[in-house]
Amino acid sequence: MDFRLGEKELALKEEIRKFAEAELPPDLARNTLIDGEYRDFEFEISMSRKLAQRGWLVMSWPEEYGGRGASLREQTVYEMEIAYWDIPGAWMGISGTQWVGPCLMMFGTEEQREKYLPLIASGEKDGIWCTGYSEPNAGSDFANLQTRAVRDGDDYIINGQKVWTSAAHRARWCWLAVRTDPNVAKKHQGISIFIVDMKSPGVTVNPILNYYGRHHFNEVFFDNVRVPVSNLVGEENKGWYYLMQSLAFERRSLAPTIYGGFKRVLEELVKYAGQTEHEGQPLSQNPVIRAKLADLAIDLEVLKMFAFQIAWRISQGQIPVYESSRNKIMSDEVMKRVAITGAELLGIYSQVDPDSEWAKLNGTIQGAYLGFPGQAIAAGTAEIEKSIIAQFRLGLPKSY
Amino acid sequence: MDFSFTEEQDMLRILARDFLAKECPKAKVREMAKDERGYDPQMWHNMAELGWMGLIFPEEYGGIGVSFMDLVILMEEMGRNILPGPFFSTIAICALPLLEYGSSEQKTKFLPQIAKGEAIWAFALAESSGRYKASEVKLRAVLEGTNYVLQGYKLFVTDAHVADYILVVGRTGESERPEDGITLFMVDAREPNVKMEAIPTIGGDRQFKVSFDRVAVPKDNILGKIGSGWDIADFILQRAAVLKCAEMSGACQAVLDMTNSYAKERIQFDRPIGSFQAVQHKLADMLIDMEAVQYLLYQAAWGISVGSPLPWQISAAKAKANEAYQRICIEAIAAHGAIGYTMDHDIGLYYRRVKAAEFAAGDTDLHREVIAIGLGL
Repeated sequence: MDFRLGEKELALKEEIRKFAEAELPPDLARNTLIDGEYRDFEFEISMSRKLAQRGWLVMSWPEEYGGRGASLREQTVYEMEIAYWDIPGAWMGISGTQWVGPCLMMFGTEEQREKYLPLIASGEKDGIWCTGYSEPNAGSDFANLQTRAVRDGDDYIINGQKVWTSAAHRARWCWLAVRTDPNVAKKHQGISIFIVDMKSPGVTVNPILNYYGRHHFNEVFFDNVRVPVSNLVGEENKGWYYLMQSLAFERRSLAPTIYGGFKRVLEELVKYAGQTEHEGQPLSQNPVIRAKLADLAIDLEVLKMFAFQIAWRISQGQIPVYESSRNKIMSDEVMKRVAITGAELLGIYSQVDPDSEWAKLNGTIQGAYLGFPGQAIAAGTAEIEKSIIAQFRLGLPKSY
Repeated sequence: MDFSFTEEQDMLRILARDFLAKECPKAKVREMAKDERGYDPQMWHNMAELGWMGLIFPEEYGGIGVSFMDLVILMEEMGRNILPGPFFSTIAICALPLLEYGSSEQKTKFLPQIAKGEAIWAFALAESSGRYKASEVKLRAVLEGTNYVLQGYKLFVTDAHVADYILVVGRTGESERPEDGITLFMVDAREPNVKMEAIPTIGGDRQFKVSFDRVAVPKDNILGKIGSGWDIADFILQRAAVLKCAEMSGACQAVLDMTNSYAKERIQFDRPIGSFQAVQHKLADMLIDMEAVQYLLYQAAWGISVGSPLPWQISAAKAKANEAYQRICIEAIAAHGAIGYTMDHDIGLYYRRVKAAEFAAGDTDLHREVIAIGLGL
């Protein structure tokens, strides 16, 4: 066992700190927690370009695709630091860097890799992706998806609707899950993955506002959208397997980012507790507050260990199954607990609009409070994740 | 970051698991709860033969000289099986500071006895408040001639009745900082003026009030420097916290395994109860708690193994274990239903030991406070 970070990782942390201090406005509002993205898209994409220039954007990819073959441990540290400093533009939509690129490397054709990977690695707008998974009748029951793709000569014709599609209004491409064979014994069969140009005729993106009026996700309609056969990823009807891999990638990268982001929030709360007086003494001297912040630190430490443990498992050539679900659940718990405890510390100010000049800590806590219930649903609810753990780790019967 | 154990460590775990499964079945645990000594001398002897007592002593003191992490692995297995007896008080608490702070004469005298399984030690720190704080140390030790004379009493001294020596935290001086003026004494437990009174506990272990009525201790039996004993107490509490956490980690694993098996066997509504999501999600929560304890434990233990322990990491592990062990036991009993509430079922053996474990080497509040200080609060 060895729980040290290597020199490489320590140097990377330091470089990212300097980068953040040089490149970010000092009062950058942490509105990603509730908006799901940065409101200033041009600023975000300018940061993507800079991350690409630094060789960070796709650091864990092989050199031939614009990366530098960084270890998963280094990637984990990178994700933690990006989130800690709240550096915009790291994911190339939802999510070019985290799963579209890696899945194309595993399952894509050479032509697809040569076309799409450099676009993502460039940090330019044409490298931004959205992910078309959920549908009105395919949420937790994801295999129930009904969007159809029918072969027509050298094309497929796609019809149907996706929903909760984050960043679709920004994306140049969609990583789309569709049904190519409706006559199958089990519904997870007959699913395929396509790459769809969001500029194709017949693609309509309608915003869905979240309960605080912010726009991050969308409904996307496909009305006789023609997609060339060359945009099929892997084999037809084998899409479920690729989807599971993509979700494993997604759930892996959650823990480092939630850890990094919420470690920062905890540090802000510690500072706030030291600077805020109540009944003649700083909040930081109140034993109840001390205990609550200590509990948050314990939860964060658990999340950190889980994040590195999964990176280590993958680096051993093993495929983590239940660990991704465990990390998703713990990530959700950390967000919730930090938000709720943070709101307790802010007291009556926790209700102030995060954009208002009345907001404490730049509105971070309100952002977290408003954001966590939605974030907890994305990429799989706690209930689904627990059922996965029961089935794949504890060997209990499938229950869904 | 490397989460793997060495091959030797994996072998130690398997050896320990097999030995304890054979020599310490639950029937033995139950028998020992009623036994006057509270442990089986034959098993104690066999453990010494395996080299467990001197696991981390250097060879010159009759040990094997492996790392602290190996001791953690061994104690996880002991916790899994609920090994009764004075291993924790002798090895996890008293032997480590002897090795670290003892003079060469003291080490030569005491460590080989311990390694051979010939000496049992107990640790006496807590007084009336039951808290592990320097300010609570009131037992007086006054120099008279060449001896220090101890006057006062200690509470919750585990395994005092079978101990050959008691490591006593006493006060030799008063000053503004309560940490100053504390000294550790190695006291012959069979001195006539050392009196013991059992404190019956729900865990079936052996804890005592130990009174010292003008007990003379020669200067040679002071551990470390006079007046600087709190540093040693701190050293002891940090390591004991990690090793108690190891026992709790093993216990959590055992309770989860037991409950998971039961969920697969127990049929209601014509199917195993483990097929119901209400039960599955309980088990998933228990698993996450268990793994949280494990990884915080390994991180803290690794810090000690390489000689750079971080107090707040140790405290994070123990605070988490305190909560998780209790929660896992309660959820496990709920999943078992009424059978889990019976004397015959093993789950109660674990649940009844929750409180002893929780308050050993620092309760949750104490550890939260260490973390709060670590955060800069």
